[in-house]
Amino acid sequence: MPTELSWTEFRQAFGDLRALLAFRSSGLARKNRRRLRIGAGLVVVLTIAAIIGPAYANELLDGKRAGTFVALLPSFYLGFCLLSVVSAAASGGGREVVPREQAVAFPVSTTVEHLGALLMAPLNIAWFIQGWTILGLTAYVFGPHRLPLVIAPVLIWLFTATALAQVVGWMLEWIRRGQQGIIVARLIVGATISAVLSLILLQQITHLLDKSPTVQILLVEDYGAGGVWWHWLLGVIVLVAIGLGAVLLGTVPARLALHRPLREELRLESSRHQPRQNPGSDLAAMVRVDRSAIWRSVPLRRGLVVLALTPGLVAVAGNLRWGTITILPGLVVSGGALLFGVNSWCLDGRGALWRDSLPASPQLAFISRVVVLAEVLLVAAVVTIVLATLRAGTPTLGEAAALACATVVVIGQVVSTSMRWSVTRPFAVDMRSARATPAPPVVMAGYSARLAIWTTLTGLIFSGLAEVDWNYSVTFALPMLGWSVYRLSRTAKQWAVPEIRSTVIATVSS
Amino acid sequence: MVGGNVVHTRSVEGIEGQGRIEIRDLWVRFGTVDAVKGVSFMTYAGRSTALLGRNGAGKSTTMRVLAGVIPPTSGEVIVNGVDVRRDPLTVKRATGYCPDVGGLVPRATPWEHLQLAARLRRLEGWEDRGRDLLERFDLGDAAQRVTAGFSHGMGRRLSVVLAAFHQPDVLLLDEPFDGVDPLGVEATLEVIADARARGAIVLVSTHLRDLAMQACESALVLRGGSAVASLKSEELMGEEGAGAYRALLD
Repeated sequence: MPTELSWTEFRQAFGDLRALLAFRSSGLARKNRRRLRIGAGLVVVLTIAAIIGPAYANELLDGKRAGTFVALLPSFYLGFCLLSVVSAAASGGGREVVPREQAVAFPVSTTVEHLGALLMAPLNIAWFIQGWTILGLTAYVFGPHRLPLVIAPVLIWLFTATALAQVVGWMLEWIRRGQQGIIVARLIVGATISAVLSLILLQQITHLLDKSPTVQILLVEDYGAGGVWWHWLLGVIVLVAIGLGAVLLGTVPARLALHRPLREELRLESSRHQPRQNPGSDLAAMVRVDRSAIWRSVPLRRGLVVLALTPGLVAVAGNLRWGTITILPGLVVSGGALLFGVNSWCLDGRGALWRDSLPASPQLAFISRVVVLAEVLLVAAVVTIVLATLRAGTPTLGEAAALACATVVVIGQVVSTSMRWSVTRPFAVDMRSARATPAPPVVMAGYSARLAIWTTLTGLIFSGLAEVDWNYSVTFALPMLGWSVYRLSRTAKQWAVPEIRSTVIATVSS
Repeated sequence: MVGGNVVHTRSVEGIEGQGRIEIRDLWVRFGTVDAVKGVSFMTYAGRSTALLGRNGAGKSTTMRVLAGVIPPTSGEVIVNGVDVRRDPLTVKRATGYCPDVGGLVPRATPWEHLQLAARLRRLEGWEDRGRDLLERFDLGDAAQRVTAGFSHGMGRRLSVVLAAFHQPDVLLLDEPFDGVDPLGVEATLEVIADARARGAIVLVSTHLRDLAMQACESALVLRGGSAVASLKSEELMGEEGAGAYRALLD
C-alpha cells in the first residue's frame, strides 16, 4: 500500500532527512566544518544585529521616516514571498539535499525531497538580505519596546512565506513536467509578466499593494507593540498554522511533480542539432562547445532568463533612478556566476578527461571558459539594464558612464573570482536537473554571500559616481578592472600547472 | 620484471625506426595514496598490449599519464621519444585516448566532438572518415544528437571513435568493451587491428580477459599499482590462462 502521503511517512521523513544531511556533511573536511560553524554563527550574529541595531536607531533618530517605512512594510513582506516563489520555481521546485545521482541508491521519498528543498531554500544570500531588511525595517518602525513580540511575527512570516513559495514552486514544476507542460508554464510566466506590466502602466501597483494580505502581519506586530495580547497571540497562531499547513500541503504537489518525468531535460538530452561550419580557429572551436554546454542545459538556461528578467521587472515596477540602477548588474552577474561559473569546469562533466587529452594549450581552454562566462553574464546584465532603464528617462553622461563602468567592473570581479574558485575548489556535479547546483548548498551560500557583498559595494560606489562627471567613473573603473585581469592571469597560471589541472579534471569527471 | 627493471611486453625488441612507449619507474601519488608504484615497461610500434588487473591496480592512472592528462609524480614516461612531463602537447598530438569514465562532453553532439578534435589536431578533409567511423560503430543516426542522452554502450563506442579518429601513433583504450554490444566489440577489435596494421602502438586496459587476449598479443598484469607479470596472449587464454591470471591477482 503506498504510504507516501501518510503521517507515518511524514514523521519518518524527518529522520531520513537527518540521515541525508549527515551523509552530506560526512564528506566535509574538518576545516570546512569549522567554516560551516563560523558561517552559522555569523548568520545568527547578523540577524540579531539586523534587529537590535535598527530598533535602537529608532530612538536615536527619533523615528525619522518611520511613517514611510510603515507604509512600505506590507509590500516588503509580500515581495519576500514573491521572490521566494521565483526562486523555488526557477530551481525546479527546490534544491536537492543530495544530488540525484548520489541519492539514486537510497529510497528517498518525495516528502523527504520536499522537506530538504524547504531546508535548502534559505541557503542563499538573497533570502538572507531580504530577511534582514524586513527584520531591520520592522524593528526600526516599532523601536525597542516589546521588540520580541514585534519581531516574532516577522520571523514566522519568513518561514511561512518560504513554505508557501515551496508549494507554488512544486505546483509549477508539476505543470512543467506534464504533457505540453513547458508551453503551459511559459504561458503562465508570460501572463504573469504581462499582468505586472499592465498594472505598472495603469499605475495600479500602489493601489493593489495597499490591499496586500500581508497588511495583517503589520497589524499583528502592532498588537504586540501595543500589548494587545489576545489579538497578537491569535495572529501568531494563524501565521504558524498557515506555515505548517503549507509545509504539509507542499508534500502533495512535490509528490505529483517528482513522479513525473523530467520532460524538458529529456527533450534537450535527446535533441538534435544540425552541424555548423567547421570552426575557423582553435578558440572558436572551444567557445562553441562551451556555449552549447550552457544553452543546452535546462538549469542554466532557465536560471539566466529568470536572473535577467526578474531584477529588471522589479526595477520597472519600482521606477528606479539611473543612480540606483548601478546596483542591479552586480546582483544579476553574481546570480549568473552562481548558476555554473563558480565551478565552471563542471560543464564538461565526464568529457573533461577527453577534452584535456586534446592537443591544446591549457590557457586556450581557460580563455574560452572566461569568454563564455563573461559573455553570458554580460547578456543577462544588459537585458536587466534595458528593462530597468525603460522608465528612468534620459541619463546624464555621468550616469550612463557609471552604469557602463559598474557593469564591466562587476563582470571582471565575478569572472575572476569564479574562475579562481573553479580551479581551487572543483566539485563533481551533474548539471542535468533544474534542481542541481554547481557546488554543495552550504558552499553555495558562502559563495553567494561573498559575491553579493563585493558586487553590491561596487554598485554603491558607482551609484555615488553617477552624480559626478563621467571621468570619475572611468578613473575608478580602470584600476578595478586591472585588478580583475591580474587575478585572472594568476589563476590561468595556476590552471597551467599540470598537477593542479589534473586534480580539477579528475574531480569534475568523477 | 617488477620494480625498477623494465618489462618488455612480449614481442620482438621493437621495429627499427618506429616509435615506442617507454615507462621507467613510474610513480603516481594522489595525496597520501600511491596509485602507481614504480611501474616500468616498454612497448613498440605495431604491437598491442593489454593492461590487466583488479580495480585500483593502476591501469587507468597509467593510461591517463600516457595521454598527458595526469603528470607522473616521478619516473620517466617517453612516448615516441617525447617526455610526457616536458612536452605533453606533443604527446597529446601523438595519442588518441578513450578514457575509462564517460569521455564525452554531455551537451555536445558526436559531430561537434569530431569538429573540435579535428580543429585542434589540424585535420583537413576529415569528414568522410568521421562519417565512416560513426557508421562502423552504428552511431551514424546519432551523429547530431546531444550525447547526454546516450546509453552507456553508445558513449563507450563514441569514445573509441574519438580516440581512433585521427589515426594516432599511440592508441590508448581504457575499458573500451565495458557495456558494449557484440557489434560494438567487433568494431572496436577492427579499430585495434587497423591501428596495429598501420604501425601504431596500442594499449588496451580492460577487465575482460578474453577480449583483451583477442585484441592484444601480450599483456601486462598490474597489482596494487605495480607491474607483476608480462605474458603472451596464449598464456592467458582458456581455462589454464584464467587460472594463471587469477593467481596473479591475489
